[in-house]
Amino acid sequence: MHIKKNRFLLLVLLVILPIAFVCHFAAGEISISWSTFSDAWLHFDSSNSEHLIVREFRFPRFVMACLAGSALSVSGLMMQTLFNNPLAGPYILGINSGSSLFVAISLMTGFTFFQNDFGLVSSALIGALVFGFIILGISFKIKQGISLLLIGLMLGSFSGALISILQYLSEANALKMFTLWAMGSLQQVQTAQLPFILLLFFLGMIASFFIVKPLNAFVLGETEAELLGISIRNIRLLIILITAVLTGLVTAFCGPIAFIGLAVPNLVKIIFKTQDHRILLPASLILGAVFLVFCDIVVQLFAETLPLPINAVTSLIGAPMVIYFIVKRIAR
Amino acid sequence: MKLTNLHIGYSTTLLEIQELNLEAGKIYALIGANGRGKTTFMKTLIGQIPAISGGISIGNKASSVLSPIEKSKLFGFVQSRFAGVPYMKAKEYVALGRSPYTNAFGRLSTKDEDIVNQSFSTLEIEHLADKFTEELSDGERQMLAIAKVLTQETQYIFLDEPTAFLDYSNKKRVLEKLIEIAKNLNKVIIYSSHDLELALNYSDEMICIPHQENIMKCFLKKDIDFNGLVNICFG
Repeated sequence: MHIKKNRFLLLVLLVILPIAFVCHFAAGEISISWSTFSDAWLHFDSSNSEHLIVREFRFPRFVMACLAGSALSVSGLMMQTLFNNPLAGPYILGINSGSSLFVAISLMTGFTFFQNDFGLVSSALIGALVFGFIILGISFKIKQGISLLLIGLMLGSFSGALISILQYLSEANALKMFTLWAMGSLQQVQTAQLPFILLLFFLGMIASFFIVKPLNAFVLGETEAELLGISIRNIRLLIILITAVLTGLVTAFCGPIAFIGLAVPNLVKIIFKTQDHRILLPASLILGAVFLVFCDIVVQLFAETLPLPINAVTSLIGAPMVIYFIVKRIAR
Repeated sequence: MKLTNLHIGYSTTLLEIQELNLEAGKIYALIGANGRGKTTFMKTLIGQIPAISGGISIGNKASSVLSPIEKSKLFGFVQSRFAGVPYMKAKEYVALGRSPYTNAFGRLSTKDEDIVNQSFSTLEIEHLADKFTEELSDGERQMLAIAKVLTQETQYIFLDEPTAFLDYSNKKRVLEKLIEIAKNLNKVIIYSSHDLELALNYSDEMICIPHQENIMKCFLKKDIDFNGLVNICFG
């Protein structure tokens, strides 16, 4: 019975997404009619500035909001399951800080693993992976969830301190680039970059759908998962790999976005009341997209009077939600 | 399952088992003082800890060659306490026992569903199926943990102090069910316990870890009484 109910709820979420799209489009600073929107795709005129806005700004911004929201939420869900802790997430555990640190290094010292656009992405990915493995390594020694979260926060302030030193030493132009990046933005993405982002996103998502069964067993803890025939070493590695790719990707293009990865999976569990990842995973994927699109609508609505970075909005909405989850859990 | 000259422990021998034959349809109580190696013994038998030397054979196969998935279809293990998981329903929890048998996405077949339902009815806990695991009592959750291990359809079931967190009537209920399972489903059940009187009543054989020497001893129920047991295991 509850399977049917959950499928219905998933469908409802799926219907909300196009509605969110319409609102997102309508909330834009310059109002553009829907006929112009369709013309921009069907009868594209490169001298028409409205067409360019649709193709180069509105559309990639919406797509990026969806992808970033989904990627961070799914990463958060998998980290919560892996570490058996509802307060885990890519931001809290310092995966984001890894990306930030490596991006800061490459922006302010000029050192990159690869040249051009791909340089920044690879820095963010490698940063996420390095910090992911540090957290994983520490998690072997430390079993209590709360200590792990504290270590994640320490990693965050440690890399924060290194970044401050870099900022102090770097020149004005690089500093400005990094500061803008660190505020988080969904507008930096260009349409031409979307295929690459989509490719990595889908690879990450497909891989995560193939580990729903181990994830379900991990909910009971690693010992129980092992007793059910799951090879925990491989799955642990795979989870860190997937979350590092998804988080690193988003962080590279949008900057560090807080709280989505923590808040959305908890919200999904409250709505769906299950621990079955065959439901939790698609639900986090869709709700994550809806959530970040909604946050970006808020950004757009205030754009003229108060230019808010996306990170401020996700924190303003996400932080109280997380406090609520904690209070609710402890009160029980 | 046959154990011969088995030495167990982490780096040095903690315990030695000269010979032990575990037979289907029998229930064994494992008795020993804290820290004497009861859990290590069970974890060695299910292949989570490698033996230092000696052999464990099942049929005519050495257990050391089994793959993780083969192990999970042969050995079930119940931890002493299942604290419940938020938002997880009893049925969802018990159905996880089918993991070794389901496809890559963990989809339950009709047969899997039947086995899950069967486990609930064997333990007479059908009324718990739709409840959340966090809302149940320790006794009810212990029954669920046993139901989960039943759905795993293993020939061997190990339980680490299954009665430690239960009140007297729940202790009895759990042990009665374990005996029923061993007899009716022809399984080998081994459980560790500090409830000596209950263990004497609810087992076919007692596997004892003496308090002074490191060689395990096995007694038929009729050959030992409460005082004898205390003398051997606790001095």
